Amino acid sequence: MRKTVTAIALAATMLTTTAGVAMAQSPSGRVVVVTSFPNDLTSAFQQAFQAAYPGVTLEVQNRNTNAGVKYLQETAANNATDLFWASAPDAFEVLKEAGLLAQYTPKVEGIPDRIGAYHMNDPEGYYSGFAASGYGIMWNTRYLQANDLPAPKEWDDLAKPIYFDHVAMAAPSRSGTTHLTIETILQGEGWDKGWKTLKEISGNFRTITERSFGVPDGVNTGSFGLGIVIDFFALSSQASGFPVDMVYPTVTTIVPANIAIVKNAPNRAGAEAFIDFLLSEEGQEILLNPAIRRLPVNPKTYAKAPEGYPNPFEDTSLGAAVNFDVNVSQARYNVVDALFDQLVTFQLAELKTATQAIQRAEIALEKKDNAEARALVEEARALIAAMPITEAQASDPSIAGAFGGGGGEARQAELEQGWASFARTNYGNARQKAEQALKMLR
Amino acid sequence: MNQISELARKAGTRSVGVHIAGVNLSYGKHHVLKDVSLDIQPGEFFAFLGPSGCGKTTLLRLIAGFNTAQSGVVKIGEEDVSRLPPWRRDVGMVFQSYALWPHMSIRRNVAFGLEERRVPRAEVAERVEWALELVGLKHLADRYPSQLSGGQQQRVALARTVVVQPKVLLLDEPLSNLDAKLRVQMRRELRDLQQELGLTTIFVTHDQEEANTVCDRIAVMSDGVIQQVGTPMSLYDQPGNLFVAGFLGTANVLSGKIGRDGNGRAVFLGGEGITVPLAETPPDGAEGSLMFRPQSVTLRPGDAPASPGMAQLRGTVLHSEFLGASIRYAVTVGQSQVQIDVPHHGDAELIENGSAVCLELDTAKTRFLHG
Amino acid sequence: MIARTLTRMSLADIRPGQAAIAILIAAFLLLFLVIPVIRVVFVAFQDPATGGFTLVHFLDFFRTDLFIRSFWNSFYVSSMSVVIATIFALPLAYITSRFNFRGTILIQTLGVVPLIMPPFIGAVAMQLLFGRNGTINMMLHDTFGFRIPFMEGLNGVIFVQSIHFFPFILINLSASLRNIDRSMEEAAQNLGSSGFRLFRRIVFPLAMPGYIAGASLVFIKVFDDLGTPLLLNVNDMLAPQAYLRISSIGINDPMGYVISVVLVVCSLLALWVAALAMKGKDYATVQRGGGGLTKRNMRPWEKVAAYAIVILILFLVLAPHLGLTLLSFATIWSFSPLPDGYTLRHYETVIFESSQFIRNTLLYASMAAGIDVIIGTAIAYLVLRTKLVGRQWLDYMAMAALAVPGVVLGIGYLRTFYTVDMPFTGQPLTSFWLVLVIALAIRRLPYALRACTAALQQVSEALEEAAENLGATKARTIRKIVVPLMSGGILAGFITSFATAAVELSATIMLVQSTSDAPLAYGLYVFMQSAAGRGPGAALGILAVLIVGACTYLSHVIIERGRERRGEKSH
Repeated sequence: MRKTVTAIALAATMLTTTAGVAMAQSPSGRVVVVTSFPNDLTSAFQQAFQAAYPGVTLEVQNRNTNAGVKYLQETAANNATDLFWASAPDAFEVLKEAGLLAQYTPKVEGIPDRIGAYHMNDPEGYYSGFAASGYGIMWNTRYLQANDLPAPKEWDDLAKPIYFDHVAMAAPSRSGTTHLTIETILQGEGWDKGWKTLKEISGNFRTITERSFGVPDGVNTGSFGLGIVIDFFALSSQASGFPVDMVYPTVTTIVPANIAIVKNAPNRAGAEAFIDFLLSEEGQEILLNPAIRRLPVNPKTYAKAPEGYPNPFEDTSLGAAVNFDVNVSQARYNVVDALFDQLVTFQLAELKTATQAIQRAEIALEKKDNAEARALVEEARALIAAMPITEAQASDPSIAGAFGGGGGEARQAELEQGWASFARTNYGNARQKAEQALKMLR
Repeated sequence: MNQISELARKAGTRSVGVHIAGVNLSYGKHHVLKDVSLDIQPGEFFAFLGPSGCGKTTLLRLIAGFNTAQSGVVKIGEEDVSRLPPWRRDVGMVFQSYALWPHMSIRRNVAFGLEERRVPRAEVAERVEWALELVGLKHLADRYPSQLSGGQQQRVALARTVVVQPKVLLLDEPLSNLDAKLRVQMRRELRDLQQELGLTTIFVTHDQEEANTVCDRIAVMSDGVIQQVGTPMSLYDQPGNLFVAGFLGTANVLSGKIGRDGNGRAVFLGGEGITVPLAETPPDGAEGSLMFRPQSVTLRPGDAPASPGMAQLRGTVLHSEFLGASIRYAVTVGQSQVQIDVPHHGDAELIENGSAVCLELDTAKTRFLHG
Repeated sequence: MIARTLTRMSLADIRPGQAAIAILIAAFLLLFLVIPVIRVVFVAFQDPATGGFTLVHFLDFFRTDLFIRSFWNSFYVSSMSVVIATIFALPLAYITSRFNFRGTILIQTLGVVPLIMPPFIGAVAMQLLFGRNGTINMMLHDTFGFRIPFMEGLNGVIFVQSIHFFPFILINLSASLRNIDRSMEEAAQNLGSSGFRLFRRIVFPLAMPGYIAGASLVFIKVFDDLGTPLLLNVNDMLAPQAYLRISSIGINDPMGYVISVVLVVCSLLALWVAALAMKGKDYATVQRGGGGLTKRNMRPWEKVAAYAIVILILFLVLAPHLGLTLLSFATIWSFSPLPDGYTLRHYETVIFESSQFIRNTLLYASMAAGIDVIIGTAIAYLVLRTKLVGRQWLDYMAMAALAVPGVVLGIGYLRTFYTVDMPFTGQPLTSFWLVLVIALAIRRLPYALRACTAALQQVSEALEEAAENLGATKARTIRKIVVPLMSGGILAGFITSFATAAVELSATIMLVQSTSDAPLAYGLYVFMQSAAGRGPGAALGILAVLIVGACTYLSHVIIERGRERRGEKSH
């Protein structure tokens, strides 16, 4: 009698064990995802996914991209996260380089290889694009009306004197998406011209925010009038009822927002199921939701989109002007961030004073030309545009290495101090020259 | 009082002595108690008397266990308590500030010690009633300390302490926060209570009148040292040193040394013709002071002949104060100034300032003090 | 030197119970504060190439203009915040403790409410009201054609910070005023002092322990806070610089850690200066129940002036809440003095979808505050009432938590505990929500500790000796005498810790492991990251303020009732 019981128990154990192995193939249990996406987006996907896979719970941990990367790095030794889900492709590059991601090829068919000039997925299969986003200029219509400002079309427009003190952007070192915008401009216009444009626009900044969302937030409330943002911020703000609008400049890039499985994921099957769900027709349609508003990567989904919804697969002008080179971006990632911080973010007051002086001189020049004054203004412009390092140096390990935690010849703090004083001296001189020019014109 | 006696009997007080031997205590470099030894008898009302900073409160707190001596022994009864924490010493202390707990009612304040001793609840209630009745505050049991006057607070503090029937009662300047009239009343009550309860009591004060009126014996302290121990009267009449003499009442002091008169008897030589025969016989040539109280002198005008057994000194009246029962004259004798009390019977005339007078000193009432 | 210490520390002074408690607390602080922080800040002393010890990063700090500028900005902002916060707190504390003033409890409660504002949404609301295109400036600009730069640059930080942190001064100052022995004031009056001179020469100096406790807290908090400057996009201050550098992706720059060390050192210095200022001032005036100042009735014109001042101050300090309330009911509020329309929709969203945030917050914050007052009382007692060797270090160690930026603590926890598995479940220790509670407790311990220390300083030692003399052991004396007498201060400490823990974000954000375990600040943070989330975020914030405010009000009522029962209130 006792023996039978034992035997049955044993059989039962074996059965459940086999069942357990079989179950590993179909998703179950808890899937933990670390994401930078807002609640509006994540909760929509969470509900739909849990409805599609009963028995699976999607656990969402919201962290901004940088904190998310930091978190995965810090917890790698005892990983409890299945998926990393965020916009900025660079963040995925960082994780991939650190060996914190696992390869996976989604099972869904019909997703193009490229979107605009950008690879849709990581060629080595470490992360996959699930939605596309482009960068553009967002503005508050009431604000522009009250201040009698026209809507801009191109990046250069933001450098015009009329926009002085009305524009904002997030610091690229704080916002992965803004970093991409900067890099896009640098690659599209070339290193020197690109920085010139960036600094001219920056001279008109009201502020530089420390979070990506700080920009749409400020435009929505009217703290400032215009902002450089990723499209979905503008589109979802508009959908929420704010009096805002946006435009894609010609030099922009359409980049995929991505998802990746974390190395040693506790629930690999669940993680795979979620990626496939994201790319499925059902998942892609959720992106059209007014509070989300991202561009689906599955071209078929656009059939269901409302009228006027941007479609990068049809509108070839979107993001085609730049051939974005991920390798170039990767090699100088930290250097570009640090340069922007030292030349713009932390010198904003000086940059603005100089810019304003130049703008005044230029307005005066239009009324009354003077060759000497014009030359002075040109010099001032050049001083502002001047860069402490060349494009080649930016990717050179001797400098880039200093930002990777050792290995470079110089220390990061030393380099930064050098750049900062370079910028401050130049901006000061530029202001003096512009003021001198203005005096001549009076 | 009958009622109190009965209650006291009910309380069944135990009387024990306090024995202190060779106690030294210092804070850093500051030596607060210097080799203090003392025996306090069971049932005795004992005072530590001295100016502030003399170490009397420190010694009291040492007995209570709030200070720890570097060396020496404190015994309560037969038990060495030197290493016991305060809560295991079973000595009751009334604090100068009363230290009534503001967050507890009077009843709860008084019940506290009994509760700590795990006394059954019914008995606690009974004994709290007893203690409050003892101090006459039964009707205020449910008030809070801040609603009581100073005198009432003082009684509560006393009730709170005696209710636990401590082996020894310690009073730290208990009357200093009361007005003069209340102070006189309270010290009588304290004395009565102590007598009824038969409780060994130590009383710290800087007021010699307070000590004299209530205490059986007094230890006079100065600078961390016990100067002299004795009954109030013996301390007054036979002070062991100048400090004790000066601290207890007014003392006239003439400095000089010991010599011999023609008969070979010891005399005090104060210079400028001051020669006083002595009752005692200190070693020849010893330097010191002659001490006498203001009332040990008879004042005579002019230069009357000396009465037998009296030493005669000459002086000049400096000024006088009429005190009612007596007249106090300040008289210069040689280099010194002395105070002399002359009883006032309603017939004598005041001696005028500047008059030469003759002082007759009762040699049996003078004392030679070394140093 | 050693010999002298030994003679002073005779055997009877060392009590094994006290030593055990001190060791327990020290172990707790070491494990949950010192070790995690050391695991992070040692980077500041590490040569990136060789891994050896170096001080070159500190040299870099002093050679970098940005850091020096940041340092002076931080110093300026902190000092000015103390000044402004004092201007807010002093009249409120004085009027409520000096006069029979209708609404005293209400003022004391409303005065604490600013602490319950998560700093980042406070700044959002302040921008809406006082920003360049906020309500006030829009109206000013439309009517008079000028704007007041309330929120420009450092002004904005000072304004928001002093409003946010002024309750630290209010709470501590009020507690001190309540504990002043009435006779001190009467003695001064008797000697011919009255009115403002009386206040300046007697009352304020007597209340100094509370004021200095509060002011030093404000200084240090502002010095270390990064949320508000970051939200106002002011980055040339020390704490934001540290945060930006530590949390920036890919940048393994030791400077962030160097700045953290500088922050810790500066805060310790500030505490040291505060301690120095307090040295030798034994203000234990509670002997016969304290009683506080005599309250008197105001003359009619005084009443008018007092109400005007109180209402103006309350309007200013509650402005963030006003703005937030409007936002929580607003449909769209964009570039206009007031919202376009009003709706209840946001509250619906929050109550139905996010009530777990509120539940979690109440649980975590009350547990953390409970831990804080227990440890705070214990440390205060050990420091002030025992002669244990090194007892002062417990105080220093606990106070050092003030100087540790939340992010540093968060990263430290991940580094220290992530590889430690919990027993039974096998999950990493950090994924257990209790770790969050401990992090909150450590972060808020200094508040509770200062409140407890101030409370104990004002309890006369004779009250304890009386209990010991009557047979109560140290432990029972603490339970029956010390703690009840400190209860006002302990409660104040509890409220401060609870209310501020309820809105803590910076450590939380690193440690939250799942939405279901997340507290409110995290929920607010998530809501505030999207355009559609502003309304619900504001609604969640308002609910938080209401709940925590209600708890605060209740505890004030309890304190006042206790005082009235003891007849300490005069009429």
